[in-house]
Amino acid sequence: MNNFLDNVKKAYKIFLQVHKEKATGIAEFELKELENIFSLLILGGFVGMPSPPVPIAMELLPYMERELTIMLARSDTAQDPIGPLFGILDVD
Amino acid sequence: MKTNAFFLGKGGVGKTTTSAAFALSLARSGKRVLIASLDPAHNLGDVLETTLGDQPKNVETHLDALEVDLNIWVQKYLEESRQELATTYSYDMALNLNSFFDIMKYAPGTEEYAVLWAIEHIRCNLSGNYDLVVYDTPPTALSLRFLAMPAISSLWVAELTKLRERILKKRQTITRLNSESPVASSCVDKDDDRVYGKLGSIKNRLGDLSNLFSLESYMAVVLNPDELSVSEALRIQEELDRIHIPLSALCLNKKGISTAPWNLNEKLSGYPVFEIDFVSSGLHGRNAVAGIDMTKLISDFTNHDTHRKGNL
Repeated sequence: MNNFLDNVKKAYKIFLQVHKEKATGIAEFELKELENIFSLLILGGFVGMPSPPVPIAMELLPYMERELTIMLARSDTAQDPIGPLFGILDVD
Repeated sequence: MKTNAFFLGKGGVGKTTTSAAFALSLARSGKRVLIASLDPAHNLGDVLETTLGDQPKNVETHLDALEVDLNIWVQKYLEESRQELATTYSYDMALNLNSFFDIMKYAPGTEEYAVLWAIEHIRCNLSGNYDLVVYDTPPTALSLRFLAMPAISSLWVAELTKLRERILKKRQTITRLNSESPVASSCVDKDDDRVYGKLGSIKNRLGDLSNLFSLESYMAVVLNPDELSVSEALRIQEELDRIHIPLSALCLNKKGISTAPWNLNEKLSGYPVFEIDFVSSGLHGRNAVAGIDMTKLISDFTNHDTHRKGNL
């Protein structure tokens, strides 16, 4: 009986987590976009975009590992920008 | 009394001589003065008849002088950033980014920032030992760029700060809804976020420099009685006006050097003009420079706060 209850609890937890993931999926996508834009603004000078004076970018760069990783991952999917969003929305 | 005096102007009008004469007069009247040359083509040492370096050197009683070496400041800054990067980033990332550092010294804006770092260093670490600091500046183009840099950079920093706040707010929302999200492991509070903290510290530093230029400094433009230097003085006045740095005075150097007609533009007529006569036999030695009559300019500098308050 205890085993059964444990399994029900586990199943409920998984069910809850799945819905939490779904609820925050879009927000996480938006967050990554914002972080990507932040990185592009800082490092835009390297690809010909307007950017703050280089020394400001240099001061921020040491603390931007997460944002840079996201920007690099984003550049991998640059040819299919809508794809990840459709993936979150379960659109085939 | 202001605690800093900047002498600006076209190349060759006599900024170094005027600023040295001003500093010498004040020092000989008992004020503790530091004169700093920001011009990459230094000749302050020649005027003061001594060899100067990056550290203050006593020239005579109450007067110290230094020549800022911009290359040293660029190298120092890049080295600090490189070390910070190496300790913060994972190995492979640091290796890739490291390659950018060799070209950073040629990046636009770096030279202007080096001047700002040097001024910040003088303000924070040296100016406490003196009653005032006199700056002999580089020719107009570089001077206007470094004077404008705090204002321009502040706009960028303000926008980046706003974006960072949005990012942190979004991270907080996600973490609250789903504590097992990968986002939860990143910084969600302003106090913990190092990028936000760095933006705040840059903002404070730029604000201090902006205050130094606009509130604590006496800005004098040196010009000669010729049309070219008057045109350049006008451009300096317009640019200073645009970045909200008040022009304090005009120093008409080499008065009487030529009989060619010239006029002070009417837009410059509202500023006090201090005339320095042309010495046809030349100025030889520190005492000759110290002999230039700076009484009126010093009087205006000393009473400048009173003037401004009276005008308001």
